[in-house]
Amino acid sequence: MNNGDTKRNGMDTSRRDFLKVLGVAGAGAATVSCGPPDVGDKLIPYLVPPEDIVPGTNVTYSTVLSEAGPEPLGVHAAVRDGRVIKLEGNPAFPNRGALSALAQSTLQDLYDPDRVPGPREKVDGDWTEATWEAAVQAAATAVGSGLTLLLTPPATGSAAAFYAEWAAAMGAEWVAWEPLGHEAMQAANEIAFGRPEVPAYDLAAADHVVSFGADFLATWLAPVELAGSYAEARDVDGREPAKLTFVGPRLSLTGTNADAWLPARSGSEASLALALAREVAERRGGGPAARVQSILAPFTADAVAEASGVPAERIRALGEEIAAARSPVALPPDVSGQGVYATEVHLAVAILNYVAGAIGTTVRFNDTPVLGDAASYADMRALATRMRAGEFRTVVTAGVNPAYALPAASGFAAALADVPNHISLSTRLDETASTANWLLPSSHELESWGDVELRPGTYGLRQPVMRPVFDVRQREDILLAMAAAIGRDMGVESYGEYLQAAWREAAGADFEAWWHAALSEGAVVTRPAAAAAEAAEAAPPLSAAAANYPFTLPEPPDDGTVLVLYPTAQFYDGRGANRRWMQELPDAVTKAVWSSWVEMHPSTAEPLGVENGDVVEVSTAAGTVRAPAFVYRGIRPDAIGIPLGQGHTEFGRTATGVGVNPLELLDGTADPRSGALAYSGAPVDLTAPGGRDRMPIMQGSDTDLDREIGELLRVDTALAMAQAHQVDLTELVEAAWDSDPNSPYRWGMSIDLNACNGCGACVTACYAENNVPTVGKDLCDQGREMSWMQIMRYYEETEDDGFQTVHVPVLCQQCGDAPCEPVCPVYATYHTPEGLNAQVYNRCVGTRYCANNCPYKVRRFNWYTYEDPYPLNLQLNPDVTVRQKGVMEKCTFCVQRINRAKLDAKAEGRPVEDGEVVTACMQTCPTQAIRFGNLKDPGSEVSRAAKGSRGYGLMAELNTRPAVTYLKAVTYAPVAEGGHGAGGADHGGEEH
Amino acid sequence: MATAEYDVPAGPPPTLADANRDISRPIETPPWRFWLLLGITAVFILIAGVAWAIQIRDGIGVAGINNPVGWGVYIVTFVFWVGIAHSGTLISAVLYLVRSGWRTTINRAAEAMTIFAVMTAGLFPLIHLGRVWYFYYLIPYPSGRLIWPNFRSPLVWDMFAIGTYFTISLVFWYLGLIPDLAGLRDKFTGLRKKIYGALALGWQGSVRDWAHYRRLYLYLAGIATPLVLSVHSVVSWDFAMGITPGWHSTIFAPYFVAGAIFSGIAMVITLLIPMRWAFGLEKYITKYHFDNMAKLLLLTSMIVGYAYAMEYFIAWWSQDPIEIESFRWRAEGFYAGPFWVMVFCNVVVPMSLFFRRIRNSLAALFVISIFVNIGMWYERFVIIVTSLAHEYEPGGWGIYVPSAVEIAIMVGSFAWFFFWFLLFTKTLPTISIAEVKEHLAHEQEHGH
Repeated sequence: MNNGDTKRNGMDTSRRDFLKVLGVAGAGAATVSCGPPDVGDKLIPYLVPPEDIVPGTNVTYSTVLSEAGPEPLGVHAAVRDGRVIKLEGNPAFPNRGALSALAQSTLQDLYDPDRVPGPREKVDGDWTEATWEAAVQAAATAVGSGLTLLLTPPATGSAAAFYAEWAAAMGAEWVAWEPLGHEAMQAANEIAFGRPEVPAYDLAAADHVVSFGADFLATWLAPVELAGSYAEARDVDGREPAKLTFVGPRLSLTGTNADAWLPARSGSEASLALALAREVAERRGGGPAARVQSILAPFTADAVAEASGVPAERIRALGEEIAAARSPVALPPDVSGQGVYATEVHLAVAILNYVAGAIGTTVRFNDTPVLGDAASYADMRALATRMRAGEFRTVVTAGVNPAYALPAASGFAAALADVPNHISLSTRLDETASTANWLLPSSHELESWGDVELRPGTYGLRQPVMRPVFDVRQREDILLAMAAAIGRDMGVESYGEYLQAAWREAAGADFEAWWHAALSEGAVVTRPAAAAAEAAEAAPPLSAAAANYPFTLPEPPDDGTVLVLYPTAQFYDGRGANRRWMQELPDAVTKAVWSSWVEMHPSTAEPLGVENGDVVEVSTAAGTVRAPAFVYRGIRPDAIGIPLGQGHTEFGRTATGVGVNPLELLDGTADPRSGALAYSGAPVDLTAPGGRDRMPIMQGSDTDLDREIGELLRVDTALAMAQAHQVDLTELVEAAWDSDPNSPYRWGMSIDLNACNGCGACVTACYAENNVPTVGKDLCDQGREMSWMQIMRYYEETEDDGFQTVHVPVLCQQCGDAPCEPVCPVYATYHTPEGLNAQVYNRCVGTRYCANNCPYKVRRFNWYTYEDPYPLNLQLNPDVTVRQKGVMEKCTFCVQRINRAKLDAKAEGRPVEDGEVVTACMQTCPTQAIRFGNLKDPGSEVSRAAKGSRGYGLMAELNTRPAVTYLKAVTYAPVAEGGHGAGGADHGGEEH
Repeated sequence: MATAEYDVPAGPPPTLADANRDISRPIETPPWRFWLLLGITAVFILIAGVAWAIQIRDGIGVAGINNPVGWGVYIVTFVFWVGIAHSGTLISAVLYLVRSGWRTTINRAAEAMTIFAVMTAGLFPLIHLGRVWYFYYLIPYPSGRLIWPNFRSPLVWDMFAIGTYFTISLVFWYLGLIPDLAGLRDKFTGLRKKIYGALALGWQGSVRDWAHYRRLYLYLAGIATPLVLSVHSVVSWDFAMGITPGWHSTIFAPYFVAGAIFSGIAMVITLLIPMRWAFGLEKYITKYHFDNMAKLLLLTSMIVGYAYAMEYFIAWWSQDPIEIESFRWRAEGFYAGPFWVMVFCNVVVPMSLFFRRIRNSLAALFVISIFVNIGMWYERFVIIVTSLAHEYEPGGWGIYVPSAVEIAIMVGSFAWFFFWFLLFTKTLPTISIAEVKEHLAHEQEHGH
């Protein structure tokens, strides 16, 4: 052998050994790193790949969600490798491409590790695994053994028909119910117009919106749709924006966006609405005014002033404004104003709309939203009585949680325990499901077939966007299997078949092609509406009953404090409570996370000696809760506010034990006319037992100390400025050093504070898109939240001693001359040629100098490695690195989306077009407050915003040259306007 | 150990042989007390080591730092120790160059203190890193990625400044030790003789040796002198280069240098008084030395007090509302306690040194030096933490409270420092024998 051979052999051997070692190590690593075995422990590429799956590319499915919030929402589900990783709004639906924070967090519901993983039987109080066959058989036997109650959320479209048919086939009763229903509004509209409906509100056409406590930007009726249409009305470019007046005891998220607040005493809304109607009728006159003249006569501003706590001159002034408005609209209260006179309030608001000419224009009774039949609170109480009486042999609950969402005083939970068989089709072990005998877990909406009726004749189609992670089946399929198990044939094998059968007629000859097209082209389909709906009048006449309704003047108030309960954007009726994104989304009003609280006016807190975070005890005749105080100027001194949705006892690891459930304070009184539960108005006793409760508040200061962060302009000033302002579409706002002069792009953003209402959808979308971890209550309390975007809620004083609120989303400003960049010793943060402040996670050693030097405080440090339990990790976006402990992170304008757009453009040999890059925050924004684009294009939308009269940069005086332009909010309130020049602060101090 | 009349014990002045014997006596056989003290420091070092291990395992979240206060006790303690490191060079080099005779008996201990303080300070930039296992990214090594450190970052300047200071201080200290090491070589037998012999680099005490030695010592003193000003100036730029209100100020370099000398002198006093007593060095470290150190302490206290006042004046003069709010909050806000502790310890207490009786009381001096040590730690806490907690964006304000891990590591840093100092006192002469003998010989010749 010569040396050369030896050498070659040696090299051969070592290379093979190396590859072997690499292979073994790789396999070992793969085995170790894949926790759940069912994900697959072998990395084998597809020999024949499925048609849909392109590696590294999302497949988008259109579908519709009806349990993702108060309204049905069309979504595009982005699916990567068989797992949905992001939800975005479907532009074809009324939500117009936007989603709320709660809807964005639906993915954490889908991947909730606390979902019931498969059928379970309760044996001696413990849940034991069962097979689907046994479970279905047992459930069917129970259903067949006597009268059965099927309890579901309100259903529309095929599901409504299906449940009714199933109930008929099984000899069962079907009751649909939801906690925050609209029974009072329906009852009032029945009286007023003979139409027990929720009308269609056209806020886009309104020029003055008077909300009687309706939190329509966050939780009421259809917040995503209404926020979008209100933002249209509020648009200040080239016209006078609509005015928003808020009437009620407490400023909700919507209230904080109002121009004026009439702090009406809880329970006085009806008389106030009538007094306003009287003022309007006097000024407007005409037929409607004449019709209701007699009932309005006693409701003079002076007569109502004392009872409502609103000065007579303010009532008259508002009446005058409404009378003068071109297209006003009054919105009735949500549950925060739902007391024992709920129907009267709704009726009074309807009469106000009537005399103001809103019926048929901004309040229409044709093309109304389809809500589906729903039981009222009183109906549920009646059901409880029947259950206690032993009328029902079996109860099947599916998708509802009455044991949590009805006050104990309703007796529902107790009565449910009396029913011999309780079959739950719940996805999770909530307060209701945990009392069941059998659990047959349903699939999630995102794993199911279905359709939803949005408006009469207009439907959204639902399709499963991925295979279930758990051993679950579609709710309707479980019901079908139960029917089949006891020989009650419904004529179909599966619900999918049932659904297709329902659409066969509308499809025409080629059903397959139609069905495929309908699903792939946006999932909105129509079919001729029922004759009645078609004939519906937009403006039905006011009934004689309403025109002569015996309203009574309110009695003078006593001195007590009353309770106001309200839903929040993050939890709604409690469904969001087990989602960490929702627990960690700061409340729009308090900015608190992972908590419940008691909102009280400073003058209420002072005699008790409590400050933010001090425990207060709230007692009513029905019960007592303890929660930390939140001192808030936006609530009347004679009211306290407690949010709904927390205080779960069974719901999952995230929700359980967080906060309190204020329903314990309700004695179950209902509005006698509609049967609606009185959520508000109960007298309470307040004591301060001492001690503090942790309530992490994610905002340091409530004002910006005139540092020009949240800027407000009077409407007149804004219009005058816009008039005098010329935008030069050829002028560049860029300085040479902001980005590489050779780069065609510098990315920029504009945020219109006049459109932003602080709902937090962008924040949650950012968590979902960028794998931003949640950290839990303890770490939030230590100031270690990870949100890349934070909505600051700043109060501005007004000249009439009130205050205005500006919601300012603060994210990395991608400064052109960034303070964070020069201080990093290792170049982990650096300036990209396109002007972004990139963050190289692998390079970061964690000195935190960049965060110290960031004037906007938008950098987030990984104090620990945060990991979510399986299967929550399946939601992680593969396009974005998951960060480890010791690394700084922050917003980079969704750089993965920028790169995707650039690649697409490059493949087509063209530059990226304006509006082509859509960041996650911008995509989901219900009010389209966020715009994104290229600042090197002088005509792009962001360039125009930066040069516009309302544009300014945050702390631009530091010469950080932020790439984010904020557009000043406008208000009709008499805010103080500083002497600083308006606009142009972002680009070289150009004054206008 | 100390009374108002503590001066040189009665009796004849020490002879050259006395000096040899007295100063090197502690090196011979350590008493049990020494082992006990060493054991205590070792235990605290161990606790700090465990705390650091936990921090590396779990993440730096075990410290109390947060958003917005990214730097806390670690950086506070880092700056504190860098400050302590200052007076060593000042006393050895600057006072040598200006021929201040009173440095003779204290320079060795002060230099040792410098070395150990830098060794302690140097740990903190590592401890505070989020990912300490990648610390070498900060070093300009020829990496395969072709990435160098960012030379615009004050943290990189810092590394070079402290590295240079440590190197020069170590060489300077070692050079001064060579004649004494030779003396120890001649004194001992066996292994110790070999070790001291190797360290003495073949010193023979010849005129030629002395000539080279004196020349090199002078040059090194010359090189070291600017470092007194540069090191803490650079450390101060870690803050002054940031745009944080409360940091971004041109007075920071002189302000920090004065503060460093102030705290360094205080630490020298804190160390020398017990050492003098424990090793019976009363004849060598006298009222003369302490009085001079007390005067230096008073001077630097006044400079520091002036700097505090100037910070407020500049904030007011600028009429920058953000700057004004920052300084208002510093004195009135959540951290008002640390602020007033700082003012009391650093400005009010040292004013008593105007009185000769207090300067001449070792007990009073010792207590005052402890106050200054505490006050100077709080000064860095106030500068670093209150500035970060209350910055530009009011919505981002937050509060920082140190955690147990941080406290353990801070206490451990003191243990680490004293551990090395204790070892020093038992292995090397704590006073420069050669210089003392030179001084004594000079006095005898000229009948001082």
